[in-house]
Amino acid sequence: MAGHAASDSWIGARLLRKEDARHLYGHGAFIADIRMPGLQDIAFVRSQRAHARVRQIVKPPDAAGRVFTLADIGPLNILEAGPELAAHRHGPYPALSDGRVRYVGQTIAACMAPTRAEAEDLADRVSVELEELPAVVDCVAAMRPGSPRVFDSWPDNAFITSTVNEGNPASLAAAPIRLRRQLRMNRQATVSLECRGSLAYWDHRLNELVIYLSTQGGHVKRLGLSKALGLPENQIRVIAPDVGGGFGGKNRLMPEDIAVAAIAMKVGHPVRWIEDRREHLLASVHARDHAYDLIISADRDGTLLGVEGDVHIDAGAYSLWPTGSFMEASMASRNLTGPYRIKHLKLNTFTVATNKAPMGPYRGVARPGACFAIERLVDEVARELGREPFDLRRQNIVTAAELPYSTAAGMRLDTGDYVASLDMAHDMVGLPAIRKRQIAGEPNGRAIGIGFAFYTEQSGHGQVEWVKRKSRVVPGYESASGRMLPDGSVIFHVGTQNHGQGHETTLAQIAAHELTIDPARISIRYGDTATTPFGFGTFASRSIVFAGGAVAKSSRGLIAKIRRIGAHLLQADVANTRVEGGAVHGPSGKISFAEIAYAANVRQEHLPAGMDPLLDVTATYEPTETGGVFSYGTHAVVVAVEPDTGVVEILDYVVAEDCGTMINPMIVDGQVQGGIAQGIGTALYEEIPYDEAGQPLATSFADYMVPCAPEIPKVRIGHLVTPALATEYGVKGLGEGGAIAPPAVIANAVADAFRSIGASFNETPLTPRRVSEAVDRARRAKGAAA
Amino acid sequence: MTEITLHLNGTQAAHTVEPRQTLADFLRDRCGLTATHLGCEHGACGACTVVLDGQAARSCLQLAVMCDGRSIQTLEGLRADPVMEVLRRHFHESHALQCGFCTPGMLIMGRDILQRYREPDAQTIRHELSGQICRCTGYAGIVDAIVAAGREIGTATR
Repeated sequence: MAGHAASDSWIGARLLRKEDARHLYGHGAFIADIRMPGLQDIAFVRSQRAHARVRQIVKPPDAAGRVFTLADIGPLNILEAGPELAAHRHGPYPALSDGRVRYVGQTIAACMAPTRAEAEDLADRVSVELEELPAVVDCVAAMRPGSPRVFDSWPDNAFITSTVNEGNPASLAAAPIRLRRQLRMNRQATVSLECRGSLAYWDHRLNELVIYLSTQGGHVKRLGLSKALGLPENQIRVIAPDVGGGFGGKNRLMPEDIAVAAIAMKVGHPVRWIEDRREHLLASVHARDHAYDLIISADRDGTLLGVEGDVHIDAGAYSLWPTGSFMEASMASRNLTGPYRIKHLKLNTFTVATNKAPMGPYRGVARPGACFAIERLVDEVARELGREPFDLRRQNIVTAAELPYSTAAGMRLDTGDYVASLDMAHDMVGLPAIRKRQIAGEPNGRAIGIGFAFYTEQSGHGQVEWVKRKSRVVPGYESASGRMLPDGSVIFHVGTQNHGQGHETTLAQIAAHELTIDPARISIRYGDTATTPFGFGTFASRSIVFAGGAVAKSSRGLIAKIRRIGAHLLQADVANTRVEGGAVHGPSGKISFAEIAYAANVRQEHLPAGMDPLLDVTATYEPTETGGVFSYGTHAVVVAVEPDTGVVEILDYVVAEDCGTMINPMIVDGQVQGGIAQGIGTALYEEIPYDEAGQPLATSFADYMVPCAPEIPKVRIGHLVTPALATEYGVKGLGEGGAIAPPAVIANAVADAFRSIGASFNETPLTPRRVSEAVDRARRAKGAAA
Repeated sequence: MTEITLHLNGTQAAHTVEPRQTLADFLRDRCGLTATHLGCEHGACGACTVVLDGQAARSCLQLAVMCDGRSIQTLEGLRADPVMEVLRRHFHESHALQCGFCTPGMLIMGRDILQRYREPDAQTIRHELSGQICRCTGYAGIVDAIVAAGREIGTATR
């Protein structure tokens, strides 16, 4: 921008976070912290069976007006969820049971009382008579003829099936190396430490419904609530207070949210539902749960040729509004080439309804599964050929000279140097030294393994990508409304949401850079549909690209007007002015933003003739290329495994990553470290198994293992910086990348530790039992062969 | 209902409580002390950690009636505590929090660790934090912050 000496110092600064102080003093305001006169609590009666007809619901005789069934809170509209594809089947998901329950934990009735304890007492006294039906619990078996069905009117249990057929997969039959492997990434929960929650009341003065939600995107939730409740959007205000983590799990409109809103409209006083941990593990968004049956083909020289096979996604009983779970299958198959020059693909995908909690997005969406599958397969090919897996990766990976590169599955990988990332991780982890250590052996009998895995992370994707996905809501832009107040301080209202990523800090850094003022003079506000412009929220690694771009654009709009006013007050030509240090500088002097803003807001007579007052610019932003920009990285890990107990210890974990330009490297490192911790959870600990009757077996932290400080290493992080070409400043999103590669890299390392006996580790989490059993099986097989 | 007397954040007062009410619910709902967070309500996540008679304790596993005659400090009551002041600064500088939900429990447990160990190393701190869940940070910043706070306090008192 001519004449605009934007300060470079705020882009790339390790600015400490604006968000911290309130939390460090215990002044964070999460949804359960909100107190209101007359507030009552809701407890839900939930299904204890996986699949049943609801024969009868008997309310206690003394509980008139305090127990709500679907009939009591209606009429409500059913939201159609999932992609806008005729082939995608719709199974209506009511806020409370409509006579059928399809998973353990599904809401049947809502009970209201002054405290949660009393509401739970009441819920215990509601008698529900269920007629049990056969449950569908295995997503592969669910597609066999004769399987019980989740929805009676469907011909089978698939929400949708699809095929990917690229290149010439028929040619693969003649490939010299063909390895078939079955891989599984099991079901887990998203486990934000703050569970979900809704608090709603009818504002009698404004004649509108106010609903506080612990959500990743209030505007889109309002859209859904409006449709479900049949209430115009101008009569719904959604407020997201401090949100205690989300990771995808707070980005769907859930039945409890609709029920709480509907009850608030009936009763005339505030009501809330605060999810407890058991409810979270039972009935919040579930994730992962992919089953792969794949053949990888390669030449003898190690050239990877193609991938064929089936991908089953266990999507649970319903599609969550708006997007459903089809993205799991489509993204998994589109990411199955990894970053490699794999030319031929033939995949059949099945997004399967089962009698389990509905699947939703979780950090990494589908890519942890796809990365696990392809990166395990690459290691298996290397083992088959007697090659070092690192070398096979290096041989097949797309080089910097080949970028931008369109993969066989249609992903356009944009900028970077993947080989440099591999090499950086190789050098950081010290592959040769680990190989030497393995030869020497461990005095305590543990087996040492080293693994590598590469990932890409599509981020900042807009219109083109979401239209291609047939998304019902197309998050093609974000918005920012910048307002300079009379004293020259600035407030931006943004449409995105923060749930811990530090947007109040990074977006202020962007604005500070553009406005040439200190971030302390800038406030970032979000989370209230009454004050912020429409935006889609935080998910899909999109906020820094989209919201960052919108703040930049809004700032530039402010600067353009500030400069015109400044030039007028300096009696100079605009062309002869420049903006620096929070002032407009002309040939004969300078004038501060505070003086300019004072004129613009409260002393209109000082403005140029005909100029409108106020400094208030709302901008929307989308990148110049909307297929997405790809962050990427190599993870490398060294593990020590106790062969008899199967306990895996991580000895070293390194990352060589590239997310383009970093606005705040401290926050980048925090996202990488935190994402990896969640990925380690997926790799080693977290799982919700179901028994044959569809009962979930992990419904507390006694059974559902979340890694703590002793289990999570301090990750050593190396950065490459290749700016994106399609975004402001060259940023790429990076919130999800950390969570993508850990299952792949850890399974590769554990397999490496036992490569001499050929043990295979193709199912996550790699619990002590799975690891020790795999070692035992391989030892027996080897013994039998000898 | 049961009558109890508590020494809460420096003030002695009598309260009437339902015998089944947990200390956590009592603090949050009766006293409005919402810095104490609830992440699991079964003693596994540590978000509700408070100081009970000078020791870190999970307020979701205590009934309020069990605390009759005892002394309780929540994060609100540790505003001017000198160790907490150092810890808060290092949490800020080490990027030891993201969403902030685990932070009050982490701070109280961090203070407890620093009272029991002089200049603890990272491994000791990790072991001592084995009952505290943070879902955002991956713990690195939290461990770094407690190490740094321990060093600063150790240096000052050497």
